[in-house]
Amino acid sequence: MNTGSIHVRGVSKRFRLERNRPSSLKEALLRTGKKKDVDDFWALRDIDLDIEPGAFFGLIGHNGSGKSTLLRLMANIHAPTTGEIEATGRLSALLELGSGFHPDLTGRENVYLNGAMLGLSRRQMAESMDRIIEFSGIGEFIDEPVKIYSSGMYVRLGFAVAVNVDPEILLVDEVIAVGDEEFQRRCMDHMHQLRDKGTTIVLVSHNAGLMSRLCDRVGWLDHGRLLALGDATEVVDRYLAHVNSAGDNTLTTHD
Amino acid sequence: MPTLSPSVRKSATLIYHFAERESKARYKRSILGWFWSFMNPLTTVIVYSFVFGVVYGAKAPLTSNGNAENFGLYLFTGLVVWSLFTGIVNGSMGWLTSVSDLRKKIYFPTETALLGGAAANAVQTSLEVVVLIAIMLVAANLSWTLIFLPIAVLMALFFALGLGFIAAIYNARYRDIQYLVGILLNVAFFAVPIVYTPTLLDNDDIPDIVRILVEWNPPALFVEIARDATYFLEVPQWNRMLAALAWTVVTFSIGWWYFRDQSMAISEEP
Ligand SMILES: Nc1ncnc2c1ncn2[C@@H]1O[C@H](COP(=O)(O)OP(=O)(O)OP(=O)(O)O)[C@@H](O)[C@H]1O
Ligand SMILES: [Mg+2]
Repeated sequence: MNTGSIHVRGVSKRFRLERNRPSSLKEALLRTGKKKDVDDFWALRDIDLDIEPGAFFGLIGHNGSGKSTLLRLMANIHAPTTGEIEATGRLSALLELGSGFHPDLTGRENVYLNGAMLGLSRRQMAESMDRIIEFSGIGEFIDEPVKIYSSGMYVRLGFAVAVNVDPEILLVDEVIAVGDEEFQRRCMDHMHQLRDKGTTIVLVSHNAGLMSRLCDRVGWLDHGRLLALGDATEVVDRYLAHVNSAGDNTLTTHD
Repeated sequence: MPTLSPSVRKSATLIYHFAERESKARYKRSILGWFWSFMNPLTTVIVYSFVFGVVYGAKAPLTSNGNAENFGLYLFTGLVVWSLFTGIVNGSMGWLTSVSDLRKKIYFPTETALLGGAAANAVQTSLEVVVLIAIMLVAANLSWTLIFLPIAVLMALFFALGLGFIAAIYNARYRDIQYLVGILLNVAFFAVPIVYTPTLLDNDDIPDIVRILVEWNPPALFVEIARDATYFLEVPQWNRMLAALAWTVVTFSIGWWYFRDQSMAISEEP
């Protein structure tokens, strides 16, 4: 039985936005001693969250609310500024287009590289290779450099790798929307299968219907704060009600 | 947190991957592949022997049995160590930048890219060492002191990695670091007795400080130990061994610590 769980405790994330950041050594040296022109931007504030083994968890919220940032923290791509995140279990993430692919390497080489990053040997990856190629449906393009892939092909291969390495935790950010109808359906089917196998899944999507259908629990992020956390349908409905009533543009800006 | 052994295995797989990629990139689109790895050092010895020995008539220092007085060999022994050193210091910056976009999208320990690149360089060095030993064998200039050669090579490798870690982080912020490092290494080449013998400095016109710098700077120590091992067939002086080891341990530790401390911050830079 798989046992992937994620515990987020008092996590905040600050990004330092450095205006007129020196881009060369000369500039940096000329500016030594002068005050740095930095702005703090808190992308996440005081997040507490427990995702238990086997859960199907969803994150919703306006653009710039911090959903992707939270996933990146879970995937250990960024470190939290305060608090801590504990993710136990093999974690596989599909975070954005071309997630974890090196543009100059072929699809096949990238599959091996991705496997290595997940701690899987070349031999283990070779065993899943046929399944991955089959699932992605990208055919002979597997031996072409991924930089020539279409957006859909990127996602197809990324998803094929992410789900075929037998993850205990799967993080998926939005990207499935880029695939065509047939592929999206296949992804949904597959995520169902993974859930049935006990994989812990965290999904980010703006598709409210999909979220209430797939997830058990949903968290609603707003300007980096967790506004609501609970039963999927309930939180999604509250979120939709909020969006409909406000009607204004709530896009965060850095100012 | 993952337990130690899977994360070590993961790092090992990644180091292997990056090493393989670096080696492949070096002889990409070449039919003879590794053959060139042997040919390069071999031609180096021949060309240098000719230029320095025959054209300039430079006198090589005596070897233990008087069999291998050849300036080409004297020089090549030094070059084996020096090119490993510069290959790693110079390479580190590129190895980090080549994975930094990837690291922004997926977590993996970036130091594996540098360790892998260094491993690929070490493989190249081993081939050069094979050529060196083969020649010394033909010249009947071998002894048990050879065991100090791998020690010198390993110290050069870890010392270079220590510097490489630091240079790579700085270069990730300011790309002009790579040019600066390139120039510094070119200058440093002459602070190491490779194309000249240290006896050249036994001259009253040369201030003591220069002599000390040339004799005790870390690459020079590694080069001299390698030369004692394969050229002079002498046991390296213990104080030089100790100094070399101290340089290596301190530099590698600082570099490693600094890299680990900064690599997360680098991945957040836009
Ligand atoms: N590396 C970074 N440096 C500075 N600011 C960042 C960085 N990454 C994200 N941000 C900022 O953090 C905020 C949250 O971004 P995030 O990508 O998490 O939003 P999101 O909820 O995923 O939005 P969307 O629905 O558009 O995908 C944004 O204002 C963004 O500009
Ligand atoms: Mg996002």
